[in-house]
Amino acid sequence: MPISEMAMFEIRDLSLHYGQHLALDHVAATVGKGETVVILGANGAGKSSLLKAAAGLVKPDPGASIRFAGADIVSRPAHLVLEAGIALVPEGRGVFGDLTVEENLALGAYAKRARAHGKTSRDLVYSLFPKLADRRKQFVNTMSGGEQQMVAIGRALMSKPDLLMLDEPSLGLAPVVVGELFAALGRVRESGLALLIVEQNVRMSLSIADRGYLMEAGRIVGENTATALMNDDAVKRAFLGATV
Amino acid sequence: MLVTAVLSGLVLGGTYALLAMGLTLQYGIARIMNLAYGETIIAAAFLAYVLFTGSSVNPVLGLLAAVPLGFAFGYFVYGLMMRPLVRRARSRENLEIDSILATFGLLFVLQGVMLVLFGSNYTSYSYLNVGVNVLGTNIAANRLLAFLLAIVLGGGLYLLLTRTLWGTALRAVAVSPGSAPLVGIDVDRAARFAFAIGGALAAAGGVAISMYQTFTATAGVVFTMKALIVVIMGGVGNVLGALLSGLMLGLVETFVATYLDPGLTLAATYLIFLAILLWRPAGLFGRAAR
Repeated sequence: MPISEMAMFEIRDLSLHYGQHLALDHVAATVGKGETVVILGANGAGKSSLLKAAAGLVKPDPGASIRFAGADIVSRPAHLVLEAGIALVPEGRGVFGDLTVEENLALGAYAKRARAHGKTSRDLVYSLFPKLADRRKQFVNTMSGGEQQMVAIGRALMSKPDLLMLDEPSLGLAPVVVGELFAALGRVRESGLALLIVEQNVRMSLSIADRGYLMEAGRIVGENTATALMNDDAVKRAFLGATV
Repeated sequence: MLVTAVLSGLVLGGTYALLAMGLTLQYGIARIMNLAYGETIIAAAFLAYVLFTGSSVNPVLGLLAAVPLGFAFGYFVYGLMMRPLVRRARSRENLEIDSILATFGLLFVLQGVMLVLFGSNYTSYSYLNVGVNVLGTNIAANRLLAFLLAIVLGGGLYLLLTRTLWGTALRAVAVSPGSAPLVGIDVDRAARFAFAIGGALAAAGGVAISMYQTFTATAGVVFTMKALIVVIMGGVGNVLGALLSGLMLGLVETFVATYLDPGLTLAATYLIFLAILLWRPAGLFGRAAR
């Protein structure tokens, strides 16, 4: 499939320094419309930095190009990247813990692009995560990790994104909750949204993905379809605990 | 005597609440510890005084001038003085220290200008200084009006912050500034508005004070300290906490003055402050964003 022809989201020459430390080294990656892409790599490979740079939370080195739906978004601050249609569920979730579920979701639709659709988006989120509907008035910091992750994803969906980026969504969750989470992400994917997922749970994430990138020391070192990656010996050795 | 003490306590407390709500917006949302806060209060008091004595504009109408001016002043000060500090701050603590130093300077600039314009005399004017009978007690009408203003403005702000999306966004910045951009909130803009609304509330409080108290060009710092105590009692950024704590502080001060000794009011105030700092540093009501 000629991905480059249909890429809705395209990163090129993305480098990023934290002081002297080179976190990203000329990274190039694409996500097509409605495509689900995972980024695999060890801790410190630069996966989170890649998502943060794409979301406008950190400023990349000059010369980087990040294009989304035809527009150059590389220099935009985070709140304007969201307006362009890219939502991020950050590592650690980033929910408003002192506010209620309902308030978190309402704020999800704060973006101009989403404000008029608040009610329909909310119904959609509640049908995706029925647990949240029962707990509208609960303060988010009194909820379990899995429930907070649902709030974070629900809040991101409220902004009506075209691309949803998730940074380690299963981190610290019980296995049964991880199963529920990926089932929900599978349904999100079916709704036609593009997903870009950084995830340590390689098996789960490849199971819902179309394609994956391998990252190492700030560089993209491999790219293949999810099925091929699942059967790749190097991937198996590095991430799936196989002794091939 | 009890009814009198409760009523005057509530009147005083209403004003404290109004002042503290403004400071808690500036400190809790904009993250600026504004030591020149009291100078805005005093400037508004002088404005009400000048309008009343010079052009016989009553203070309630004076609010229509003072509140927008307070807002504009806050908006201007944030853009000119605070934004560069916010931009270069590497951490919240960093910004706190920088803003304390910068507003400490601003305090003396504003105070100096007011000393030149109005001198250092005690100032007051007589507006609605007639007794009204409430629950068998005589209380000055101007005090009742000040209390009413505090309740209407304070209650209105509370509803604005809790019932509108815009207000919820401001509270979101107060509790998790790092996450706010993820839902499309422009944190810099939100901070600027919060700082400006704080200025508007300070101005409203200043007009209310001028109706029933004497004031001087150098009295600002007392009000800043009182407002700060109430803010910390209520929990930084907690608007409802500021409202309740303000009323409480007014009651405590009045009771101490009535039943113990008027000379002990300040001591009692700071005793409460120390107790809260030691045992409830997050405030009586926690930092919950209500």
